[in-house]
Amino acid sequence: MADPRELMERYVDGDARAFRELYALVAPRLLGYLMKMAKSRALADDLLQQTFFKVHRARSAYVRGADPVPWIYAIAHRTFIDEIRKKQRAVVNVAEGDEVPEVSAGLTGEADGVREEVADPELTAAVMRALEDLPTGQREAVVLTKLDGKSVAEAAAIAGTTVGAMKVRAHRGYEALRKLLGARKRGAA
Amino acid sequence: MSDILDHLGAIKPPTPAPLSAALEAELGKLAPVKPRRPLRELGALLGISLVYGAGLVAMFTVRGDLRELPMPWLLAAGLAWLLGFVVPCYLALVPPRGSMQPRWHLAAACAAVSSIGFVVLGLLVHPSGAHSKYIGWEHIPRGHGCLELGVLSAMVPVVIGALFLRRALPVGARWVAAALGAGGGCLGGLVLHLHCPVTDAPHVGLVHGGVVVVSALLSAALVTRTTEP
Repeated sequence: MADPRELMERYVDGDARAFRELYALVAPRLLGYLMKMAKSRALADDLLQQTFFKVHRARSAYVRGADPVPWIYAIAHRTFIDEIRKKQRAVVNVAEGDEVPEVSAGLTGEADGVREEVADPELTAAVMRALEDLPTGQREAVVLTKLDGKSVAEAAAIAGTTVGAMKVRAHRGYEALRKLLGARKRGAA
Repeated sequence: MSDILDHLGAIKPPTPAPLSAALEAELGKLAPVKPRRPLRELGALLGISLVYGAGLVAMFTVRGDLRELPMPWLLAAGLAWLLGFVVPCYLALVPPRGSMQPRWHLAAACAAVSSIGFVVLGLLVHPSGAHSKYIGWEHIPRGHGCLELGVLSAMVPVVIGALFLRRALPVGARWVAAALGAGGGCLGGLVLHLHCPVTDAPHVGLVHGGVVVVSALLSAALVTRTTEP
């Protein structure tokens, strides 16, 4: 597998192919993260494009020898937060009878209809629904530390918080997830 | 529970859409850019700012009571202001090895400590000489000249730092900006330490120390716009 450092160095040196390789390397995981945060494939796709556009505009901020992946994740995090704030401020007027098209996200991050086979779809679906019910900060902590395999320090750097705060968020998120799943199991029984 | 999360984490990630037309167009005219060199940038920021600060002291004259003040205090206070300038700028500009993002939480702590520390130190320790001046609590607004000179001194390192950190900070930008402001404010404090002969507690503490607070707040409010990608 290509080293993101090497790809980023070639990219700042003007190699467009290195950017495409970097995109191929980072974008799938980043899209998965954004889908779990945004809860919508369409929005996650848009955020991903915005993120890489920002990476492109800010490429001169690269420091040779540094791993660009946490920085790219942090840009994605910032872009997502800005989008939420924008949506909260925006007033949307939809006339009666208007339809708002929506592509819902599948469990594996694929749009419905192109869903991949997973080992235990029902359980996975329950966890994903429970994950969606978590507050944004806790959801992000769980996604980064438990699903994306980032260390607490990396997750804290991405989310712009301290290691201690990230540990607390991840722990609370994990506990909340466990409670939500328990409540759903009891409800189903 | 952790098994389910492990299973979820192991699921193949989704396939992203191809690059947008806008990005493709940008890649079509891709040119090499110079990446950041943080230590070199720090050196440039410190060098230019210190020359600028020395120029301000020369222009506004060295304080008249300089030779009458206790030398250990004069040196210790000067060194403290200098460290207050260098350390936050270092933390704001230089990321740890292998990382692109500076240690913003340490920079934030440094900005807070220097902002509070210099106000408290100024209120507690302020020796005077025969030619020192005293304006006291009742005339403290007359210190606005020192505040302006201090903030003017802080502007150069803050602007240089903001240019070096342009679009580099997706997170922690406000804290890094505050650290830059606090560092710049300490340069202002150093300039005032060498220029201003007023030695009463409220002036040294609240005005000279206040330069650090004001610069940190102004920088945090304004610089963030340029440092976020």
